[in-house]
Amino acid sequence: MKEVVTMWKNTRMIILVALSAAIYAAFLIVFKGGIPIVPGITEVRPANVFPPVFGLLFGPAGAWGAAIGNLIGDLFGGTLGIGSIFGFFGNFFLGFIPYKMWGATFGLVPKNDMSQNTNSFKKVLAFELVSLVAAAACGIIIAWYLDIAGMVPFAFLAITITVNNFAASVVLGPILLLLLYPRVKRWGLVWTDIMAKEDVAKGFAKNIGSILMIIGAIGGLVAGVLVAIGVAGQQLYGFTGEQGQVAVWLSVLPFLLMIIVASVMLSGREQFVEELED
Amino acid sequence: MDAEIYIDNNSFIHRLDPRVKIIIFLLTFVAILLFQDPLWMLPITVLIVIQLVASGALVNMRRIRYILIVLTVSSMILWNIFSSGDTKLFWIVSVQSLTYAVSRTMLMILMISTGMILITSTRNEELVNGMIRLGMPYRVGFAISTALRLVPTIVTSTVTISQAQRSRGLDLESGNLLEKLKKFLPLLVPVFISSIRNTNIFGMALESKGFGASEKRTFYLDFQMKKADYVVLAFSILFMLVSIYFAVMGYGKIEGLIRS
Repeated sequence: MKEVVTMWKNTRMIILVALSAAIYAAFLIVFKGGIPIVPGITEVRPANVFPPVFGLLFGPAGAWGAAIGNLIGDLFGGTLGIGSIFGFFGNFFLGFIPYKMWGATFGLVPKNDMSQNTNSFKKVLAFELVSLVAAAACGIIIAWYLDIAGMVPFAFLAITITVNNFAASVVLGPILLLLLYPRVKRWGLVWTDIMAKEDVAKGFAKNIGSILMIIGAIGGLVAGVLVAIGVAGQQLYGFTGEQGQVAVWLSVLPFLLMIIVASVMLSGREQFVEELED
Repeated sequence: MDAEIYIDNNSFIHRLDPRVKIIIFLLTFVAILLFQDPLWMLPITVLIVIQLVASGALVNMRRIRYILIVLTVSSMILWNIFSSGDTKLFWIVSVQSLTYAVSRTMLMILMISTGMILITSTRNEELVNGMIRLGMPYRVGFAISTALRLVPTIVTSTVTISQAQRSRGLDLESGNLLEKLKKFLPLLVPVFISSIRNTNIFGMALESKGFGASEKRTFYLDFQMKKADYVVLAFSILFMLVSIYFAVMGYGKIEGLIRS
């Protein structure tokens, strides 16, 4: 995770944080008045396509942009509150996981073409995989916290956020990335063109890290929902059931730790292929 | 939404030290979240309304009135569905659920108002300066303040591009959710490209002015806390402590409320 700190010494990366945050926030605000799911907490968000795309194109700047953009969207959309604290972290991971996992998608992204593009079927699959994992990670981070805070039940919110995040990505993401990548690359703004390779975390056992990330996000979602429905009597749609149940927190906690460990194991350095070829 | 949210007034709130305004902003958020009962939210509501009027932020609130109306209507409907109580009024609406819906709606509007007061009364450079002097690294402060400043510009260009695409026949309203999502593509791409294309020039402009040259940044703007700043800060902290005391003592809850 070294690059999430070292990127702040690069002016262009800082500008990309600001621009990513502003674009994400602007679209969130425009659609705040659209279709609310839980007023004050979340709504149908077509803007959620941006964090994975920003993450892949701008790396850590995209992750910070997603986190800050969500906070600004909450501020001007009237949903700023206790949930915004973990909304910040959840959205950070929504942009962070895609670029960290991109080079460790079990061969879907070939080693000789690590470009953050969806110009092949396998790369589209890779995009969907990393988007799904990121969507679920974001969902369980926010829902876990809001359940502890006694605001919204885990089962309802984790599913809602995951589906909400992934729906936009699955439909719009590959097309958007296909259209944007050539331009961003031409302008020299892909994160691997801006950052130095040594400023990015080395990582270790990346494929195992990737598996751990998938288990952490998807496994955490499934385990958390099952425990929430079984033990706490929660429903997938509705506020029924007990919130603040220790069983729900404890069942999700190991998976959250897995996501953090996987974040340390994964790198992103492998995407500096073109730089080596030059 | 116009490109500029800051309003160049010389109000009492405009003249406060940005650090004080940021602290008040954070304290206000905590105060808003302490109580469920709308009656207990009234004191903070009055203080926020006074600030809205004094700072001129009502003009900006007017600009986002449609978002506020939609949020209010949806909040009033959905919180009546998601909560209930002992004292039935009609259909699914009880006194408790209605009270709770009003409280949640107030919470949203007050939070938006608080943010709007800060942005309306504080210049971008003052906001960054305030955040940095409160301990935030200046690069992070710069990113946040630039994003805040760019949001209205991008919202404006989104609306403009949306109108241009609609005039070419783009219909965002029809179709199911997936079809609707696909139709956003002609909006997303131009907004993204128009925002990102000048990044390199922006970067060069910043670096030519010495941005990032040293770890410690100096400022042309120099703020000194005045007597009024200390008075306002002391009042805010006192208000906050009193609010916390009443919340801890169990006041401000809605008796008989069931969130179902």
